[in-house]
Amino acid sequence: MPILGKDVVSATGEKMGPIVDVLFNGAGKPLAAVIDFGGFLGVGTRKIAIDWSALLFDMGDKKNVIALDISRAQLEAAPEYQGPDRPVSIVTLPHAGGSGSPPGSPR
Amino acid sequence: MNRHLRGLDWLNFFVANFQAGFGPFISIYLTSAGWTLGAIGEVLSAGTIAAMASQVPSGALVDAITRKRTAAAGAIVAVMLSALCIALWPAFLPIASAEVLHAFASSALGPAIAALSLVLVGHAALGERLGRNARYAALGNALAAGLMGLFGYYLSGRAVFLLTAALGLPALAALMAIGEQSVSRSMPADGAPVSATEPAARRGSWRLLGDRRLLIFCLCAALFQLANAAMLPIAAGLVTQRAGRVAPLVIAACIVGPQFITALVSPWAGRIAQSWGRRPVLLIGFVVLPIRGALLAAVVNPFMMILIQLLDGLSAAALGVLTPLIVADITRETGYYTTCLGLVGLAVGGGATLSTTAAGLVADRFGGGASFLSLAWVGLCAAALVAAAMPETRPPAPAQTASTPASTRPDRSPRQG
Repeated sequence: MPILGKDVVSATGEKMGPIVDVLFNGAGKPLAAVIDFGGFLGVGTRKIAIDWSALLFDMGDKKNVIALDISRAQLEAAPEYQGPDRPVSIVTLPHAGGSGSPPGSPR
Repeated sequence: MNRHLRGLDWLNFFVANFQAGFGPFISIYLTSAGWTLGAIGEVLSAGTIAAMASQVPSGALVDAITRKRTAAAGAIVAVMLSALCIALWPAFLPIASAEVLHAFASSALGPAIAALSLVLVGHAALGERLGRNARYAALGNALAAGLMGLFGYYLSGRAVFLLTAALGLPALAALMAIGEQSVSRSMPADGAPVSATEPAARRGSWRLLGDRRLLIFCLCAALFQLANAAMLPIAAGLVTQRAGRVAPLVIAACIVGPQFITALVSPWAGRIAQSWGRRPVLLIGFVVLPIRGALLAAVVNPFMMILIQLLDGLSAAALGVLTPLIVADITRETGYYTTCLGLVGLAVGGGATLSTTAAGLVADRFGGGASFLSLAWVGLCAAALVAAAMPETRPPAPAQTASTPASTRPDRSPRQG
């Protein structure tokens, strides 16, 4: 199943935004999904890298929902993803130690 | 108001709908179609380059076509085709071609409508007419943003582009209502010659390029966009960060709100430009810009940002009415009206492209506030340039103009700097 362009929903089922990129580490293991979040007609969207383990894949459902176990407040505080050439901060699960983990490796 | 001018009202209204789908929304649509960020960036760059490269050639083409209505119809059909192509065939080459086609078509469409307006009403009534054009275009923009926002949220990105293509049909119907008869006649109601749009009377294209007024106006317009273009995207990014769940609605209000202000004040701007002169209206539009930048830098509350954005409606009204009006003044009886509009379009596009890149860099490094302040400084320079160097272009007296040669410089104005 393709993952780029797939919408991510919040724990309460609210539409958050599509996955626009996936970041891998050197061993080929996915580290984070870049989600394009917010905005109106494409104006004012923010790209945020979210820890891969914060994505909950519910593939049994017909809708193939990908849910996000991260609060809105945490997303709003998160630094913007600046593209592959810049250091990346990945937003992690709350119990795994807040946002701003060490920079991810290149794809 | 006769049927032809009503047709022109609705033409402006429906043509404005076209632009809403093709801006930043296309990247949302391509994302949902599974495109990578890199491929989206390449296609958008192709569109930006084509938009700049097409300005002057498309303007020259509209000058060369005697029937402005045919030129406008061709451009509308081309925009419809590119919207259909984007909706139905989201692969790299078709999308890139559609972006380029849309760029060429929309660079012809604006000038074609301006030329059509000039042919219909003549120079003497052009200010008032352009005011009405800007009012209907703003209302069309507001409706389109709302409608496309709903389509995009509840249906799909594809639905937005199908709607864009469908809205070309009422635009064509409005164009039909204008009627070929009224467009091809050579003398409008006030008896002034329409030779600014008449290829047969062309002369002095190189002299026009050296016209100080045209060059200064291009520089002013470029500086204006350098200060203006990045303000909304940066403000919207901050709103997304600060307003939480209601952010999309706040951003929508930041986009739609100013359109209503533009619709409200544009006719007034056109009348003032006619009775007082071009300079005072232009100055108001330019002075408001640095004020908006400084206020956006000072304010954190996203709801206050909506109010500040309303100022954009004043600038948009002044620039929207005055750009085609000043260029019409300058190119009077030369046959190069839309070519020169294209030249201004190139300056505006260059300023806008540089604006988002430069302000984005400043925002990344020093934050949104610093970015707004730098934009406000550029806006202040633009306003100072208008005040110091932009001459009044309104011709001395409407009665004289039919017999006065085009080279007469309208420097009789008491407000000249």
